[in-house]
Order: sequence, then C-alpha cells, then structure tokens
Amino acid sequence: MTILETSNLWFKYSGGSEWALREVNLEVSEGEFIILAGRSGCGKSTLLRCFNGLIPHFYDGEMIGYVKVCGLDTREHPPYVLSQYAGMVFQNPDNQLFALTVEADVAFALENLSIPRDEIRERVDWALKIMGIEELRDKSPLELSGGQKQKVAIASILALRPKILLLDEPTSSLDPYSAKQLIDTIVELNQKYRITILIAEHRLDMLLPYASRLIIIDNGRIVLDGNPREILEKNDVVSYGVSTPRVVKVATQLKKVLGDSSNLGTPLSVEELVEIVRRRRYQ
Amino acid sequence: MSTILRGLQFYPGKTIIHKLDPRVKLVISLLLMATAMMYIEVTIITIIVVTEAVLAIIAKVFSRWARTVYGAAPLIIFVFIANFLFKLSMPGQSINLQSIYEALQLAYRLVAFLASFSIFFLTTTPEELGMALTKMKVPYMYTFAFISAIRFTPILAEELQSIVDAQKSRGLELEKGNIISRLRRYIPILVPLMVNVLRRSYELAEAIEVKCFGAKKNRTYLRELKMKLKDWTALSISVTLFILAVYIRYFSKIVIP
Amino acid sequence: MIVFENVEYVYPNGFKALNGINLEIESGEIIALMGENGAGKTTLLKHLNGLLKPTSGRVLIDGVDTRNSTVASLSRKVGIVFQNAEDMFFSPTISEELAFALNNFNFPEEVVKKRVEWALKFMELEEYRDKSPFLLSGGEKKRLALAIILAWSPDIIALDEPTVGQDILQKEKMIQIIKQANQQGKTIIISSHDVEFIADLNPRIILMSRGRIVKDGSAEEVLTDIQLLHECRLIPPQIVSLTSRLDFLGFKPKLARPEEVAVEIARRLR
Repeated sequence: MTILETSNLWFKYSGGSEWALREVNLEVSEGEFIILAGRSGCGKSTLLRCFNGLIPHFYDGEMIGYVKVCGLDTREHPPYVLSQYAGMVFQNPDNQLFALTVEADVAFALENLSIPRDEIRERVDWALKIMGIEELRDKSPLELSGGQKQKVAIASILALRPKILLLDEPTSSLDPYSAKQLIDTIVELNQKYRITILIAEHRLDMLLPYASRLIIIDNGRIVLDGNPREILEKNDVVSYGVSTPRVVKVATQLKKVLGDSSNLGTPLSVEELVEIVRRRRYQ
Repeated sequence: MSTILRGLQFYPGKTIIHKLDPRVKLVISLLLMATAMMYIEVTIITIIVVTEAVLAIIAKVFSRWARTVYGAAPLIIFVFIANFLFKLSMPGQSINLQSIYEALQLAYRLVAFLASFSIFFLTTTPEELGMALTKMKVPYMYTFAFISAIRFTPILAEELQSIVDAQKSRGLELEKGNIISRLRRYIPILVPLMVNVLRRSYELAEAIEVKCFGAKKNRTYLRELKMKLKDWTALSISVTLFILAVYIRYFSKIVIP
Repeated sequence: MIVFENVEYVYPNGFKALNGINLEIESGEIIALMGENGAGKTTLLKHLNGLLKPTSGRVLIDGVDTRNSTVASLSRKVGIVFQNAEDMFFSPTISEELAFALNNFNFPEEVVKKRVEWALKFMELEEYRDKSPFLLSGGEKKRLALAIILAWSPDIIALDEPTVGQDILQKEKMIQIIKQANQQGKTIIISSHDVEFIADLNPRIILMSRGRIVKDGSAEEVLTDIQLLHECRLIPPQIVSLTSRLDFLGFKPKLARPEEVAVEIARRLR
C-alpha cells in the first residue's frame, strides 16, 4: 500500500538561486526501510522536510508538483496534522527537547494537540517502552548522554503514533557505539512495529543490512533508487559522496578475482560475507 | 553573583517542604516577605530569619541556603551603605548611631527577603514552577518561555565557553588593553554567539512546529498540580500567623522591643 | 615535543576528566586520540595550548610548562581546530577572518598578506576571499576553519572530531590535507571516534577510556585488539571484524586495504 508519494516535485528556497529538489518522483509503501544518501547539501534534508509539510508551510519558496502523505496533500494540511502521519527527528537532539524532564518532553506534542490526559499517559508509557528508556522518565535532559537524548527525541515523536518516521542524520553527533544502539532501536521500530522509516545518514555500514531500499540523491535529483544490493553491485557510488562499506569493496574485488561465475551475491555486512566465504570453503 | 544564582538553583529532595505544592510555598515566601515589610524591628526580623532557617533545616538545604545568604553579603553591604549615605544627604542629618542603626535595620530586612526567596527556589523544581504558573492562569506562551529559558541557559553557557576557547586559541586576549579596546575584543565572542543563537532558534522553531506547538487553543497537561491536605494545612497555618502579625502591628497596642 | 607528566584534570563541578596521563609525542608524528564521547579526548587537547591547565602534574610543550605561559603564546605553537570551528567566524570577509589570528600574533603587515594568500590558495578558497564566511557551504566552512589555523603555521595542529557530519568525499579531502601538512613537518593530533577514517590514516593511536590512556601503539596494534575496543565502547573497523571471523581460513585480525583482503581470501580459498 502506498503511504507516501511525490509527483514531479521541484523546490527552490526563497532567496536561493538553484533548485534544491528537481523532478522527484517517489512512491513509498508501508513498512519500507529507506536510506537517503548523497553528499552533504545534496537535498536529502530538503526532501525529508517535504514529507511532513515543513515545506511549503515553514520554509518559503517555490514548489512545483505535489506530495501526498497517507493520502493527504501536504499543501493543504499544516505540519501539526501531517506530523501525526510522518514524524520527524532532527540531527541535534538538544534542539528537539524543550521540557525539563523526559516524561514531559514525550508528552509535549500530545499536550499541544489537546489529547485527554489518560490517553497522553498511555501513549507516553508506550513510547518510552518501545524506545527502551522507561528508566529515564524523571531525568532532566541535562543528565542524558547524546544517544539517550536522541532516543527521547524519537520517543517524543513516536508518541504521536506516526506511520512514517523521518530521520535527518540522527546519529551524526553520536559516537559509533551509541550510534549502533540507536540504529538497532530504529530497526526494531521497523521490524516489530511496522513503522515506515526514511532515514538520511552517512553511516551506511551500520544501516545497509536492514534497508529495503537505497535512494541516492545528487544535486536535488534522485539518481539511483532501488534495492541496496543491486545498486552497490552495479554502481560506484563514491562519486555521489556515498561511502561503500569495506565489506562491499572486499566482495566486489573478490568477484573480480574469482570470476563472475563465482555467484557470491552482494553481502552488505561482515556476517553475510563471512557466511558466503564459509559456504564456498566447505562446499 | 554566581553564589546567589546557585542559591536559587533547585536541588532534588524528598522532604515535606519539597513535596508541598509550589503555590503554597510561593504564598508562604510572599507572606514572610510581607511580614518583613511591615516590621523593621530587629526582634521580629530575627524571628522571621530564624523561621526561615528552621524551614531550610527541615528541607535539608540549610548549608546551601546559608551560603546563598552569605553570598548576598556584598549586596546587603551595598544596601546598607547606600541607605546610610542617603540618610546623610538629607538636610539636618549628621553621622550618629541612630542613622547607622536604621541603615542596618534595612539591610537586615533584605536578609529576610533573600532568605525567603532562596528557600522557595531551592525546594521547587522549575517544572513545578511552570505548573504553578499554568494553574495561576498565566498564558502558556509565558510558561513555555520560562521553561525554555531554564532549559537552554546551560546549553548556551557551554556554547559561549566553546566560542571563548576557539577565539583564545586564535590569539585573542580579552584581558589586554584599555576599556575601549577591551570592548572591541568582545566582538569575536559576541558575533558568533549571536549567530549561534539565531541558528539554534531556527532549529528550535522547526522542531516545535513538528511537535504541534500551538495546534490547539486549549492545551491539555499530563501533570497538574492538586492541593492536598498537607498543602491546605500549611497554607492555613501560615495565613493565620500572617493575620496575627498584621493584627499585632496595626490593631493591638503590643510594644515590640 | 609534547610531554604530559602524570596529568590529572578535575572540572570545577568535580568531574575528573583526566586521570594520570603520561604521554610523549615527538615532532612530526601523526597521533589519533580515540575513545567514546566523554573519554577525555577534548579535555586533553585543551591542555595543549593552555586553555586548561593540569590540576596536578604538568604539560610541557617544547620544554615550556603550560602553567607558566599564556594561551596566546602557546597557540602560536599549537593550533587547535575545534569540532564546531565554523562557530567562531565573525568577520565580514574570509580574508579578514584569516588575518585575525595573524594580527593577534603581531605578524608584520606584509607577512599577514602573504600568509592569507597562501592559506586561501592551499585550501582552494581563493574565489571566495571577499565573501562572508557565513555564505560558505558546510564543507567549505570546515576548510576555512583549518585554513585559519594553518595560516600562522603552528608546529602542532590538533583537530577535534574533524569528520563529524562529513561525507566520504569531504573525509577523503581531510585525509589528503592532514597528510600534506604532516609532510611539511607538522605534528598532527586528531581526536576522533571514526574508526574507518583513522584506519585509512594509519597513525599512532592513543586509546582513552574514562580519563585514562588504556593503550598506546600503532593503528594495527590498537585497532585489531577487538576485546579492548569493545571495552572502550568503540566498534572495530569492518576489515578487522571480517578478518577476525575468517579464522577458518587461517586469518588473524588485521588492518589492510579491502583489495588486499579480497586477494588473500581468494588465494586461501583455492
């Protein structure tokens, strides 16, 4: 089922001289896990902001084409309505937490929507639980590590019960270990709770094994869109500012050495490559 | 100055004072101050300060409370000197024990004031304060602004420190030169700080939009203050005592030593 | 040469960020300080130019005890590029931004001019010289931040998390610049938790955890110690994870280029 679609979408920020998005056509089905990749400034963030109505409602500019989120045309609905369908988490966790306790932060959006207290309580409990941060409930944001803050930021959006979660480089300020933990949680949201994920990230090595789809954007245009294995098998994505994980490089080279008939497939993680090599070894 | 600020900073605790409704605490603080306003006599002010000290002991914040009052010493001395000089400047006044004594009384009253404020802030979370504001029908915009100020002040302080560090590492010496050139030296600190604040507020605006801020006119609240029995009790005791104080001052003939 | 002798640093709030640091760095080395956020990397960097002075122990920069010197005079020797270095811009033009430190250090006017020109050229920012630094793109801002430090040619260049938020092309550029500066004789000290980036750079690594140095050795030595990396909450480079799991082919954990590993796997499979 299509949950998100754009049709011939163009966008130019007011005051900007170039189009930030060019002719974007996209259809997303429910339950997908999509990575948006590309060099800094390629348009990934801009595209994400089209999915929850920040564009065109918050950012001024020229927009051509349309975006529909769960059937709602983003031009006709304000961000606070669209955010209940497509919730957005930003890069810097500090700038997304407004309250003085974790619980209050997770309740914040619901309070703004005038949701009855009992339901707020229920949703807050749920969001804290699925993010695995119940024990942080009464903590102040100042006491949290970067990774914990980002989990709170995600919980505060999940409380809105969106079908789609938009994440704009959520791990960029985290160290690798915290990043891995956050990504694991995001994967669980997708696999266990069927939340559709669209994530802009540079850390492809951690994400690729879980992604159903990779979209590479260059200069505002979608240049590659498809299964991550196929894309990485056939294309050199470095020129788009996307780093190919080392295992993919090893596998590509291995195929060259062993010949095309080797039938290695395209492993996206260390485990997959080890498995392939093991099978060949003991064939 | 920082000592005073620290005296106004909340420290988590579980004493009866901490658990009192912030509105009741605010009323008690204000009543204590009002009492101090009515009386100038050293005996009464002493009673007030001692009461405050007892409250601070019950709340287990005595040493912090004492430090706040101590930290305010320069301010208190300043008030004393200013009062004294003011009195001197009046026609027909000369330096005598009476004028020193009066100036001292005023300064002492200030101690009672600050001490009362300090207990309130030491035992009330900013969040409770926010909830109290909401209950007192203060528009949410103001409560939100208040909470944001508390939330982001430490972050901005950190930001300021990193800017100072970066510019010092570029050879900026803030302590050098006369006052004019010193002010100019602050430009490399102030401009980046302003740019930073602007950028941050933009990002905050975006995040707040996504969190449906202002979506509905009537906001709901997950947590709300409710007056409990102990709150009513504390309130009625303090109001009774205050009425007594008013009575003694204005309607009785009791002479205060 | 940089010497840390039993350095301890306690922040005013009582947090002990450095605990018994002993360290010697020769001039011309490339050093990576690694460890999770909060391990003490940035605190250590701030000791290099005296922004922080040790609570106990001492730091010597070319024999000068940092406690007996000012940040300004130490900074001539040690240039630090902070993580959000672009937050320090304040001048109307990029040329003026570059000249700021040079003027603070009292370089003669014609030298300032020459150095600014050199830095603009070295970092490929010439066409922007009269533009406002705020109009640069993210990657260009990072380059300007580095150019600012390189302009006064400090002997030691310290970079705090230079790759955060950078894409692969920007990282490759960064490696190139670091190597170039090192070839000109600069000592380079990088704090980072980006293992793949550091693996590419292949420097001497000082691994930190909770204010202590837990290992000091070559990239090969440190990055193949998987157990220790986990204890320090770092994730080993993919090549190391891979080779460590190919033990059934006789592999030992090692750092190598992907192509080499592929050839090696193929050879052992045959």
